[in-house]
Amino acid sequence: MSEPAVRISNVTKRFDATVAVRDLSLVVPRGSVYGLLGPNGAGKTTTIRMLLDIMAPDSGSIEIFGRPHRDRGALDKIGYLPEERGLYKKMQVRRVLRFLAELKGVRVKDADKRINYWLDRLGLITPEKDWGNAKVDELSRGMQQKVQFIGTLVHEPDLVILDEPFSGLDPINSQALKDTVVELKHAGKTVIFSTHLMDNAERLCDSVCIIAHGEKVLDGEVVAVKEAQGTRNVALAIDGPSQDGVRTLLQDRRLVARADDQNRFFEIELATGADPQELLRRVIATGVQVRRFEMISPSLHQIFLERVGATGVEEGMSGHG
Amino acid sequence: MGKMLVVFKREYLERVRSKWFIVATLLGPVFLGIITVLPIALAARTKSSEQLSDVIIIDATGTDLGARVSKSLAATTPGARAPRLRVVQAEQVPKEEERATHEVMNRHAVGYMVLDANTSAGKEMRYAGRNATALIDVGSIERIVRQSLLSQRLEREGIDPGRVAALTNVKFDAKTEKITDKGKEGASGLASFFFGYGIALVLYMMIAIYGQSIMRGVLDEKTSRVAEVVISSVKPDALLAGKILGAGMVAVTQVSAWLAMSFLMYQVRGPILTMFGAPAMAAAAVKIPSVAPLVGVALLLFFILGFLLYAALFGAVGAMVSNQEDVQQAATPVMLLLIASLIFMQPILLNPSSTLAKTMSWMPFSAPLMMPLRMALIAIPWYEIVGSILSVVVGCWIAIWLSARIYRVGLLMYGKKPSMRELARWIRMA
Repeated sequence: MSEPAVRISNVTKRFDATVAVRDLSLVVPRGSVYGLLGPNGAGKTTTIRMLLDIMAPDSGSIEIFGRPHRDRGALDKIGYLPEERGLYKKMQVRRVLRFLAELKGVRVKDADKRINYWLDRLGLITPEKDWGNAKVDELSRGMQQKVQFIGTLVHEPDLVILDEPFSGLDPINSQALKDTVVELKHAGKTVIFSTHLMDNAERLCDSVCIIAHGEKVLDGEVVAVKEAQGTRNVALAIDGPSQDGVRTLLQDRRLVARADDQNRFFEIELATGADPQELLRRVIATGVQVRRFEMISPSLHQIFLERVGATGVEEGMSGHG
Repeated sequence: MGKMLVVFKREYLERVRSKWFIVATLLGPVFLGIITVLPIALAARTKSSEQLSDVIIIDATGTDLGARVSKSLAATTPGARAPRLRVVQAEQVPKEEERATHEVMNRHAVGYMVLDANTSAGKEMRYAGRNATALIDVGSIERIVRQSLLSQRLEREGIDPGRVAALTNVKFDAKTEKITDKGKEGASGLASFFFGYGIALVLYMMIAIYGQSIMRGVLDEKTSRVAEVVISSVKPDALLAGKILGAGMVAVTQVSAWLAMSFLMYQVRGPILTMFGAPAMAAAAVKIPSVAPLVGVALLLFFILGFLLYAALFGAVGAMVSNQEDVQQAATPVMLLLIASLIFMQPILLNPSSTLAKTMSWMPFSAPLMMPLRMALIAIPWYEIVGSILSVVVGCWIAIWLSARIYRVGLLMYGKKPSMRELARWIRMA
């Protein structure tokens, strides 16, 4: 039980001239929720695809539960939800799920039992209608997402990999997904998910790895990552009129290194050597109402912006995962 | 191997369950039966036409020609209405014709014929009637008038009428037989012609239909994005293999069902033909050409290899493109290879031992269609058959190798259709 769920060592992948992933190493602890963070085009999907042996790395090695990922049956322990989701449209829901389960080596009899459990649990079997007998394209988008999700979990994988799982989900399915991730963790499973939404990651993940331009920026447990940044950040919430004074104040580079303006809330990174008391005095002096002024660890979002830089994010927006 | 079987099973079951498959499998032999039985039934029906004697004969020759024709016509269909002979003067002919036309229009007769000086001179006769477009009827009338005129002339030359009847009674059908190296074969030349043509056509149909169906299946997995989930569980090579073998098995199932149903229909061909109004005798005309066991094995091999070759290519085409608009265009080169074989079928049917025929049956892409065709038509030396099979095996191997590489890379590539250069890079990359 000591070996990690995933160990990626010095993996590099090139596509023609561009390097998608450069010398990436990371360790995903067993039983953890692990976030693979980065802007679009950072190499998240490429990393996941190499992990699943959909693509071969040019160099480096990948281990899953202590065994090379190409070993027979290694992939059967993984459940994968790709960013671009889809099912056989003309096929009956139950038959699609049975097919996906069988591909992972589950016997038909066991598969049928689990499929019924999941269909029932996600509300696809109602007293009026058993959607399992319907064709996939007769289902609504939300229902198809549920079916896809069952397909990812039906073989009871020890490692679940979700690529941008929240993109395109409606709020209800999004909540169901969060609940399931937590539940999987409690059941001792390992969950890896990639996202560019830092808020989700900060709340859900035990550990993270931030990558940009195919290279690792930092990794580790979320708590440790944040502590390593020190508590040089200030959370400031304001209210009332005359907020312009505060915005002018935040331009003062002797006091403030960087400020994330979220309208009534600011996350402020103090300049080196600046005194937070000085900042508080001057904020009050602008005449604005202060609702909250607190020394905090920086959010993942702030760390991400600081380490990757706004340019990295902008560039990444045009590329693909 | 295990996962390939899972893919195979899905591919096979989903296809066999489809409505199209069930309808095509059931209706195929019915259709085949109809196109086999209908001509025979029609031909038989026309041959025994009772309308032949139900005619008016306007005889303006001033001889007994009309009477002779009338007697012969009446003899063709005993029991039917006898011809009505009207001996008239030449100048009365137009009036008589008008009267006869009305009688035909009022269904008092099927038609009328005019025999005049031109007929006596051996130049022409005229016939008008409801059955004027039935070639066999008109042919029979012509023959009878010709024979009557001939016997009239012979008798005028002083030859004994009894002898005349014997001498002019000439009537024959051409019966053909095919000779091969092994001697005469039972089936007629025409039968093996149709047999060869039929086999090549069925092979072509199966390859075209199921090859393209694999192509659409691959494209469908790509566009629906299910491909990525599937290849996270099974290697692309096994996926492609499972798809091709699954579809191939469906083709085999369909052909087997067709053969079985055709055989059953052959067993009860008598009643079926009678049902269509053909005499029981006609049943003998429907023959199944015999196939030697070794030829059967060779045919099966050609079918399997040809199917694999084209299925692999079609599979690669499906993986190359990302949308329905591009796929037909991308499939054109593969379709051309296949259609080329079909276009050359005609000249090869006419001359199965020509250089063209030999060349086509050595090319891997056309051999699976051409060799069975030629084997049905003429006797082919064994080394040519073996050589042709080997050439298809090599071609098949290359096609599968190339296709697997294109498939592996193409499955996750979205965007516009790759150029030849990009395709070459994919092949190197995989």
